[in-house]
Amino acid sequence: MAVPVIGSFPSPYELETPAGCEGWQDMYPYYAFFDEERRESDEQRFWFWNSMHFPVPMPAFDAICIDTAYQALGTWQNRVFAVPPAAGIDWRCINGYIYISGNPVTDPEKIAQRAAVFQQRAGYYYANWDELYGKWRSKMEGLIAELEALEVPQLGEYEPDPVAFEDQETSYCALLDAYRTALRLADLMWQHHFEFLLLGYGAYMTFAELCKANLPDMPDQHIAQMVAGLDVLLFKPDAELRRLARLAIDTGVDDAFVEGRSPEEIDSALNESEAGRAWLEELEKVKHPWFHMATGDGLYHTYTSWLDDPRIPYASLIGHVGALKAGEDIERPSDHIATERERLAEEYAALLDPDARKGFEELLALSRTVFPYVEEHKFYADYWFLTSWWNKIREFGELLVAHGFLPDRDAVFQLSRLEVYSALDELLLTWATGGVPRGPKYWPPIVARRRELLAKLADWTPPPAVGAVPEVMMDPALIMLWGVTTQRVHEWARNQEGGPELTGTAASPGVVEGIARVVRTVGEIGDVREGEILVCSITSPAWAPIFSKITAAVTDIGGVMSHAAIVCREYGMPAVVGTGRATSQVATGQRIRVDGSAGTVTILE
Amino acid sequence: MSHTRRLAELRHADGGAFGGKSATLGELIAAGIPVPPGFAVSISAFRAFVEEAGLAGMIGAELARTSPDDVDSVGAASQAISQAMRFAPVPDTVRDEVARRYAELAGEAGGAEPPVAVRSSALGEDGQDATFAGQQETYLWVRGAEHVCDAVRDCWVSLFSAPAITYRARLGGTVEPAMGVAVQLMVDAAISGVMFTCNPVSGDPSMVAVNASWGLGLAVVGGEVTPDDYLVSKVTREVVREHVHPKEIEYVPDPGGRGAVRVEVPEERRSAPCLDAAMLESLVDVGRRVESYFGSPQDVEWAVARGLELPESLFVVQARPVTALARHAATPASSAIDLVMSAFGARPKTD
Repeated sequence: MAVPVIGSFPSPYELETPAGCEGWQDMYPYYAFFDEERRESDEQRFWFWNSMHFPVPMPAFDAICIDTAYQALGTWQNRVFAVPPAAGIDWRCINGYIYISGNPVTDPEKIAQRAAVFQQRAGYYYANWDELYGKWRSKMEGLIAELEALEVPQLGEYEPDPVAFEDQETSYCALLDAYRTALRLADLMWQHHFEFLLLGYGAYMTFAELCKANLPDMPDQHIAQMVAGLDVLLFKPDAELRRLARLAIDTGVDDAFVEGRSPEEIDSALNESEAGRAWLEELEKVKHPWFHMATGDGLYHTYTSWLDDPRIPYASLIGHVGALKAGEDIERPSDHIATERERLAEEYAALLDPDARKGFEELLALSRTVFPYVEEHKFYADYWFLTSWWNKIREFGELLVAHGFLPDRDAVFQLSRLEVYSALDELLLTWATGGVPRGPKYWPPIVARRRELLAKLADWTPPPAVGAVPEVMMDPALIMLWGVTTQRVHEWARNQEGGPELTGTAASPGVVEGIARVVRTVGEIGDVREGEILVCSITSPAWAPIFSKITAAVTDIGGVMSHAAIVCREYGMPAVVGTGRATSQVATGQRIRVDGSAGTVTILE
Repeated sequence: MSHTRRLAELRHADGGAFGGKSATLGELIAAGIPVPPGFAVSISAFRAFVEEAGLAGMIGAELARTSPDDVDSVGAASQAISQAMRFAPVPDTVRDEVARRYAELAGEAGGAEPPVAVRSSALGEDGQDATFAGQQETYLWVRGAEHVCDAVRDCWVSLFSAPAITYRARLGGTVEPAMGVAVQLMVDAAISGVMFTCNPVSGDPSMVAVNASWGLGLAVVGGEVTPDDYLVSKVTREVVREHVHPKEIEYVPDPGGRGAVRVEVPEERRSAPCLDAAMLESLVDVGRRVESYFGSPQDVEWAVARGLELPESLFVVQARPVTALARHAATPASSAIDLVMSAFGARPKTD
């Protein structure tokens, strides 16, 4: 049902480049912009800032997570399953921030044709879910193994002996092959990533809709509670940390875990005793795979793994040890969660008439079948694969550093993936010819300028949406994956003017007042103080340790199944998700009230 | 005793003899719901009254002259009948029975002349098809056997109020004008209100909607205050919605000891919420029990007695099926896969 649209969004063509940021476009491919050639159609479309995946300006290399990801989403949604009303998602970049828009299918004949394809193909997936998902896990594990085994050839004075004696290919081919393989593995990961995603969220959303139609006042979080898994893979890493914390106390090495100590200081304290060394051995066993958690949501090279940056797991260990010593219970109340999950399901089913009850029970069962994928794909794809993959790309960076092309290995992420290919090409050419490469003079200034641009663009506040305000949102992917519903978009449009109240999804009940802490990047997690309210773009499971410090959470993007919502419900603290603009409207230090039952955030001072 | 019975002895099947409300109160007591004790006066008592006073012919003639569209004719008939009934004596057999029942009740309450509520219990009242709600009178804080008898007669008279005559005429004249009466010990209500064991607006069966205000229930039932408004989940007891309104007036017992008076609510209590989480939880528990006993969503009037602690302080004074419930579009029985297909815009063919 269409409702009158109030308010508007700015035209993407009106937004100005911040002072000193001229030329930011050079970081991105030619098709990434609101260009004059496509103005007529682009200006009439609705675009929203994908702050869920891209909360900060995009480094040139990391843009692969836009291109390849939307290629894969489009392939599965549009070309494999042929979701009837929606093709794929287009993206554009404004001042380093990524805006996306769905391509609807409107021709009724085409929709009917696609419906036939969808029913056949999606039906096959739902009917064989467990088997196909089992294969998916093996595929992902195989992909990760292949990535870990991939060697980046080094360029020595001479080609290695096997080139001369065993017909091995030369370094030129081997190095470029290795780089192409690295890119191909990322392409495959993204293809796998989207294979189940839409169908998984689709089953869940259909269940949620049935609940809303028959039980219109049911709080959203009850739907999530009924579906969410009990033995969630994403909670495993923290469960292992809790076990290690208990072990530290049981074996008397808990004194090493002092607030303020660095991971290295804790390790060296542990290394002084037999029991401490035994504990460290136990830790080693846990690291694979559980320390492949990312320190953020995974789509930037800056989100490294716990292996790369152990500060988060060590902070968590210190917290768990401290809590245990204070006599607190640090276990997830899993028995309670399990009982409550069944009780809710049974009681709600009993309230429905028999026809609705049948749909309710079947959809709940289907949602529970698909949900492990929805929760676990993040660990395999976004965390384990991507954090390892960024490190593989860093090895290419090291090679370019060794030959003077780059100032440091992370500088590789300031080049686009095609520019890296080009730099490797020139390196190989001049290494072979013995000539003077241009790269060492050419790339470092570009890297420096782009780093400066990213820092400056980080201060720009992107509007939540640009272009036309749509009457209705029909795209299943945008609704399911981003929670961008008609209601949400219209709230954004109304709220353009700003004001002391933000609305979002009521994700975890309760009302709390407190001081806001706005966290825009993972590096700022350490600034969060006891008792503050976390205001962020989106959280990831790797942020678990700070949830024991905060009193409520507010996010820009996300629905009731988002990580922040799940964790807040477990901790019993209020959460409002999907506000669209909390990080741009709220400032650190402001006093705010979070009403997790009504879905509102009020700025009090 | 042929004209009266203890409420606790009544069941649904007694509705024809004692009226719907009394029968429902009997069922509630049987279900273990806290209902103030009392007794019912049967419809036969009303008939004996009409017969002994020789009013049948006069009533029939007056009603025959009315037309539901002619307000003046209804008003004239109502006045004539009411006048005649007020001057007619209550038959001695009825009077004696009421006095004995009242004495029994006084014994239970432990006082000589306990205050009671005298409520009409019309034939067909509280039925699922037609709600007579508000058409008949209730007399609160009545003391002494004589006054109880007078209030019983006042209930009978109310059967011929102008709105009641019009209402029956609209239903097509098939309902015999006859009435029972329920007499119950008065609850000295600090807070009272109404709850629906569903959300009457959205039709959500997982919610209990509660309206509450200070004092006796008259203020809420009569729409004289904007009550505090709560929506509570039956499943988790969470308060899903809560609107506290300023409550300007309340009904309290008349300081003279008889009847109820309307007074202003003291400033400090006006905007204070009437109910806390514990009270809401007790209400939801009782609401669910009433609903499951009767097997359909219920509209329940309740009161919280002054000077008692939960759960003893909570009383149900009336329950009836929710009529005119908002029904959302029913979900057709579909398989999960068909429903998911629909969500993706791939609707299964339904021709």
